[in-house]
Amino acid sequence: MNGAANGSADPDLLWYRDAVIYQLHVKTFADSNSDGIGDFKGLTGKLDYLRDLGVDCLWLMPMYPSPFRDDGYDIADYYSIHPSYGTLDDFREFLDAAHARRLRVVTELVLNHTSDQHAWFKQARSARDDPRRDWYVWSDTDDRYSGVRIIFLDTERSNWAWDPQSKAYYWHRFFHHQPDLNYDNPAVREEMWKVMSFWLELGVDGFRVDAVPYLIEREGTSCENLPETHAVIRWLRSQLDAHFPGRMLLAEANQPPELVRPYFGEGDEFHMAFHFPLMTRMFMAVRLEDRKPLVDVVERTPEIPATCQWGIFLRNHDELTLEMVTEIEREFMYEEYARDPVSRLNLGIRRRLAPLLEGDRRRIELMNGIVMSMPGSPIIYYGDEIGMGDNIYLGDRNGVRTPMQWTGGWNAGFSTADPERLAQPLISNPLFGYQAVNVESQLRADHTLLNWMRRLVSVRKSSHVFSRGSTTFLKPANHRVLAYLRTLGKEQVLVVCNLSSSAQAVELDLRSLAGALPIEMFGKSMFPRIGELPYILTLGPYDFFWFRLRRV
Amino acid sequence: MAEGSLLSDELLRHLMAVGQVDVLVGVPTLNNASTIGGVVNAVHQAFGKYFPRDRTVLINSDGGSVDGTQDVIRGRSQDQTETVTVSHALRTTHSISTPYHGVPGKGSALRQIMTAADLAQAKAVAVLDADVASATPEWVASLVQPVRNQQFDYVAPIYSRHPLDSPLITQLVRPLFRAASGWQVREPLAAEFGCSNRFLAHCLEQNVWDNELARYGIDLWLTATALYGGFRCCQTMVGPRVAAAAPGRPGFREVFQQVVGSVFLLLEQQASSWVTRVGSEQIPIAGPAADGKGDGQAPGVSRLGSTFRDDLRNLESVLRAILGEGTLRELNAIAEAGVEEIRYPDALWVRTVYEFMGAFHRGVMRREHVTQALIPLYLGRTGSFLVEQSSRNPAEVEGALEALCVEFERAKPSLVQYWNQAT
Repeated sequence: MNGAANGSADPDLLWYRDAVIYQLHVKTFADSNSDGIGDFKGLTGKLDYLRDLGVDCLWLMPMYPSPFRDDGYDIADYYSIHPSYGTLDDFREFLDAAHARRLRVVTELVLNHTSDQHAWFKQARSARDDPRRDWYVWSDTDDRYSGVRIIFLDTERSNWAWDPQSKAYYWHRFFHHQPDLNYDNPAVREEMWKVMSFWLELGVDGFRVDAVPYLIEREGTSCENLPETHAVIRWLRSQLDAHFPGRMLLAEANQPPELVRPYFGEGDEFHMAFHFPLMTRMFMAVRLEDRKPLVDVVERTPEIPATCQWGIFLRNHDELTLEMVTEIEREFMYEEYARDPVSRLNLGIRRRLAPLLEGDRRRIELMNGIVMSMPGSPIIYYGDEIGMGDNIYLGDRNGVRTPMQWTGGWNAGFSTADPERLAQPLISNPLFGYQAVNVESQLRADHTLLNWMRRLVSVRKSSHVFSRGSTTFLKPANHRVLAYLRTLGKEQVLVVCNLSSSAQAVELDLRSLAGALPIEMFGKSMFPRIGELPYILTLGPYDFFWFRLRRV
Repeated sequence: MAEGSLLSDELLRHLMAVGQVDVLVGVPTLNNASTIGGVVNAVHQAFGKYFPRDRTVLINSDGGSVDGTQDVIRGRSQDQTETVTVSHALRTTHSISTPYHGVPGKGSALRQIMTAADLAQAKAVAVLDADVASATPEWVASLVQPVRNQQFDYVAPIYSRHPLDSPLITQLVRPLFRAASGWQVREPLAAEFGCSNRFLAHCLEQNVWDNELARYGIDLWLTATALYGGFRCCQTMVGPRVAAAAPGRPGFREVFQQVVGSVFLLLEQQASSWVTRVGSEQIPIAGPAADGKGDGQAPGVSRLGSTFRDDLRNLESVLRAILGEGTLRELNAIAEAGVEEIRYPDALWVRTVYEFMGAFHRGVMRREHVTQALIPLYLGRTGSFLVEQSSRNPAEVEGALEALCVEFERAKPSLVQYWNQAT
């Protein structure tokens, strides 16, 4: 039975709609065996920390065997754990421990492509008549699907790569060492369902599905978002619902919301999808000190089925994508957030949250305050809860994937290995380095960013109005103030944010709420009762309020 | 006057919401419902096209329209307009429509716009007339960009028009202002201009806003103030200026009197700045230079000659009090010719104007009578010039206009002499 697609089903099946998700990389989270590489035993040891942070769900970046030419997104074996991270038994132990703490676990599923080191590809290229040959997309020329955009512009010149072994070109939308699977072949679809079943049987709660729009190719099209791709997704979803109700599929489709909307289908494709443009426009709005870009994108976002949810975030493991913006907007974002050209990658900016905001605690809080009150399930990228920095000189996107900073001591408490052995170098600059920014020190004081984030998550989870409520923008005359009303049944929360670096006064037209008493949700302070006159608030630089509106 | 009495509480609330801005465009209005929509659209399009990253606001200062002008502006709310025209603007585009209080006239509207711009710390301001049917986004860009990008304080427009068009400007205002002030400005009393915050702050401190100049001569006063005040001034090509016909607009004689009266009054008030100046300087042109082709049409010459001849006779007693004996004799002589054969030479025209200015200054009669008496002579001069130039190409006509300016400059000592005699 399709439990998740039925709005009246067991509410626990819709857990993802209310979840606060935490994204982490096993490789750089915690190392238990002193080899310099994070592992599942190390991660298991940190689960109490994650539970105390208040998150509900962990999203693990790829943990499979891989040559690591794309940080694990080049999978060489879908049925196993990378030996550096531990064993399948270690994974089972981790999963049980997470579930015991009411933490769900979502893993990566790279459907679109494999590593060129995967046995399937090795076999496919071995001979043109090999049975696995048709698992990938081959051509004798490199002019098929001409005009299809190249995603990794900085490194790839074509979507075709020459295979000298079988003397043919193979199709790849990402790196040339990541050949695309051929989803026109039913055997590939069957095999991928088998992969999913394997992990679902172990107990994983869902998959974050990588690079969704590119599964199918057709001549004369952009080879993105094709109907045939949706058919593949619907089939996988039907299998999932039939065999594992309550598990979740999260789509990575870096597209405008109107193009992502079809990936929810009629509630029969993905349960969740990332809202990439919202992320970009939150940064734009704060730098412009103007709510316009943010309000525009939310109002342009189509309705989604009641059983679905957006995944919203400030930063993740990739560059801050600027693919979905205009030339003028991209130029603005580069000038404001990436003056150092090294921080630019592809069409984006490879930086973490805190450095993007110049370590400004007020802006970090404001941005988190917005993302935690917007419609969707918020995702926290590991380390951002303490304001970790990055290292743009590490190449590709490795600069935002450095070891978690647990302490100010040896290797930031990440590993007891020699520093030279660490999977990634630590951040050690005076502003964001582990001596200055780490979990241990932030646990020792009440007003650190970490403890503030804990409170924020806790308040967010105190009401389903944030996760399930409707959103109405108030649009006061002062464009520096972002104000919106979240409503779920009789429950209402008013969010008011000052996007600017200077104090602002704002008059809100709240006549429709006359009689309500605003209670500030963090300090529980009462504010003057709303009446017929404009409701006047003053906000300090980057201040924000969440008001629960009570009728007394 | 205190700022508090210039700006209503409602306007202050709007300005508080707008906050600091980079570009402010002001549009004074009075019963312009039929044309204001196009101007507002042009401004919003300019914001999106040329200033997509800037903080922008349009302020309409209305003199009490009863034809729904303000409703038209409010109807083109930012959301509606943005959807249609400024989808490229990164920021919120504000529009404010507010009535002004005080002395009726454009001066009060400009004072309110400038005060608002000063409060909003606008880096660049442009003002557009509400009846310009030909306003485009490029007009706004041309007036604002020299301020934003080249640190000019005052930007005067150059309209693209036929050299025989607007003879009141070309025959009288431009050459007289050039000779007297010493600056070569194509459009000394243009209704449109761009300016910096520094310039508008200076203007607000001047004692002009409650006097007669503010009502009809504020455009010329702004140009003169920028030039005499040592501000960085430039001119910019904006394109053809087509003003829509509007009911209730004053007729030619009233306009003539307002314009010429304002020019004479301004030169009188600022005499200390110009009487000692010799020659003239060019004002730099920001952006592409004028193409010299020009649009528009030359006015017809019918009735100009007959009006000149008839009124010269009818106003003889008045003119005798204004003009020198020799001048009047020469005028009577040229009036003897047939209507189509009247030739009113440059030197005589310059002398006529200077003697009128002297009479205006001396107060030989009520000043409006002085300026009214100039009308038939102006019509005669215009008719003569049009007939003489009608077969010439635009470049040749421009040459003749330049020669007239030079004649005004050459004869300036006589003006100074009339002036000093009167003083």
